[in-house]
Amino acid sequence: MINQVTRRSALASLGVTLGSCGAKKATDAKQSFVAFSQCNNAEPYRAAQNELVTRICARSPDLRLSISDGQQDTSKQIAQIETLILQKPDLLIVAPNERAPLTAVMGKAMAAGIKTICLERDIVEPNYDTYIACDNHAIGKMAGEFIVEQLKTRYGKARGKIVELKGLLGVEAQINRHAGAHEVFDQYPDIKVVHEAVADWLQSKGRERMVEILRAQPQIDVVYGHNDPMAVGAYLAAQEIGREKQTIFVGVDGLGGPAGGIKKVMDGVLAATFYYPLAVDKAMEIGNRMLRERGFKPDKKYVLSSEIITKANAADMYQKLTF
Amino acid sequence: MTPSARLDSMAWDSRRILARLQSFLGLVVIFILAILISPKTGAGERIFLEAGNLTDILRQAAEIGVMALGMTLVILSAGIDLSVGSTLALAATITAMVLTRWNPDSGAGTRIFVAMLAALAACAAVGALNGALIVSLRIQPFIVTLATMIGIRGLARRLTDNTNIDLGFGHDAASTFARVGSGKTLVVTIFAALSIMTGIVLTRTVFGRRVKAVGDNERAAFYAGLPIGRTRIWVYLLCGLLSGVAGILHAAQNHQGNPNAGISYELDAIAAVVIGGTSLSGGSGSITGTVVGTLITGILTNILRLNNVDSNTELILKAVIIIAAVWIQQIRISPLARRKT
Repeated sequence: MINQVTRRSALASLGVTLGSCGAKKATDAKQSFVAFSQCNNAEPYRAAQNELVTRICARSPDLRLSISDGQQDTSKQIAQIETLILQKPDLLIVAPNERAPLTAVMGKAMAAGIKTICLERDIVEPNYDTYIACDNHAIGKMAGEFIVEQLKTRYGKARGKIVELKGLLGVEAQINRHAGAHEVFDQYPDIKVVHEAVADWLQSKGRERMVEILRAQPQIDVVYGHNDPMAVGAYLAAQEIGREKQTIFVGVDGLGGPAGGIKKVMDGVLAATFYYPLAVDKAMEIGNRMLRERGFKPDKKYVLSSEIITKANAADMYQKLTF
Repeated sequence: MTPSARLDSMAWDSRRILARLQSFLGLVVIFILAILISPKTGAGERIFLEAGNLTDILRQAAEIGVMALGMTLVILSAGIDLSVGSTLALAATITAMVLTRWNPDSGAGTRIFVAMLAALAACAAVGALNGALIVSLRIQPFIVTLATMIGIRGLARRLTDNTNIDLGFGHDAASTFARVGSGKTLVVTIFAALSIMTGIVLTRTVFGRRVKAVGDNERAAFYAGLPIGRTRIWVYLLCGLLSGVAGILHAAQNHQGNPNAGISYELDAIAAVVIGGTSLSGGSGSITGTVVGTLITGILTNILRLNNVDSNTELILKAVIIIAAVWIQQIRISPLARRKT
């Protein structure tokens, strides 16, 4: 299914366009076709990506955006990209569902002369003009360092008991958010991860798993969730038996909107969350230059940095990231 | 009656009593096992036996349990309902949407009532649709409910634009609903009450008899003049309705309406039913069995998680338990069944 998301904003009538708009007539003459192959619309993070890229493109009347949904099915996404190649988009952005299987079809797009951006998840061969990367390992490390600081404040030295709620096993984000944090924890022998449970990124599973963990562990200093919903689920389980105050809950993702992690930091449910970049804004910034600037050659890779969100900056970030 | 026939009949009676007890055997075994391998507190008490933990199990099992009640009726009628997980998601999202996006001047109570009513109505409609399609188009239940499983999931995602609807941590109607609706006592009471009600419907009403008759032998039921189509539609409607209840509980307990909730719950519900001894070919089984089946999986999950068993190992062990439990049921049932026919 391909959703045609063509939007002309009111800004168009004011003659305001993004990028180099010296040649005003050019904007009317030719629309650039931006195709975004999304791997799965049904995840809140990806829904936020779609929303943001739609808004960005709506600001430029000379951009026509089309988002296709791979529905978490790699072969479906490959078929969709093959169709897109026939349509010859001016810019193709791919958020690959899986690394290896998408490599070949992106090579085909490149061979057809289509400007291609690989988003957020790497593929095996560099079959793209540029790769917008998010560093989950760095995020895991940031989270680990934050947790150690919190424990030092609590006990005066680095010691304490941590519960880790993991995302779906084998997924890159799960592997690196785990590895990055453990790289930090491992430096302190008195910091113990007493329970690791897999909660598949879901708030409901985070809560379910936490119920037993609370019984088995009389003392839990920190819950580290690989995403915000799992950490919130753990909070709900602790709240139920009145133990939410003894524990600090830390998540990752920092999505905007009422269901996102930033709101949970504002509500005092999470002590902190770590922003996982939506990446489409950077992709469109680079994409715009590729479309408009003659001779512009993007770097092969741009690594986006995360940001810690605590009570101090939550309100600002909420404003920024709520669409 | 010849003497040997009388003896046979006595043996049959005692075997029936044994069979009754046997349905609890699995539960007793797993309970004892859980006590034995339970981790202990610092004071040496077995965590598994703590009142808090035992009630945790009931509460954790409640959602699947409520769904399994409806699934029992469906399976007894020789059908299957794969759409219950999606229906749960629909109920959760509708409840959350009405609570967060509908802002009348009325009080929290009314808003919560309307939200739940809307969710239940939608789920009953899904169930009735399943039944109507199965009866009128004569398509197999597996296929019809496979289709609605896909379609209803799409509907839930479409309604919410792929986002979670958060109930929040404030003091408005949505937060109140989450706070009250997630109370352990309430959740467990609802599960218990619905189990008893469904049990009574199945064993003490004409409708219950019809469900079993339709599932046991449709042709005989037809010649006996039973309203087969109507019975089927009602069975699926009730199953949808019960999935709706589970969805409302899910929304309250998780503080959100998530359109991706309940994926593969249909399989957990079916597992609870078959572990409880209900035959997938219809006609024989009981609500008691289903409750037992729900508790067996609930206790198993609990004890494995208390021991921090690797989640992949947990899945493997669950598979073993399902096969073992159903195998035990078959040993019991087959001689009886042969005798009956």
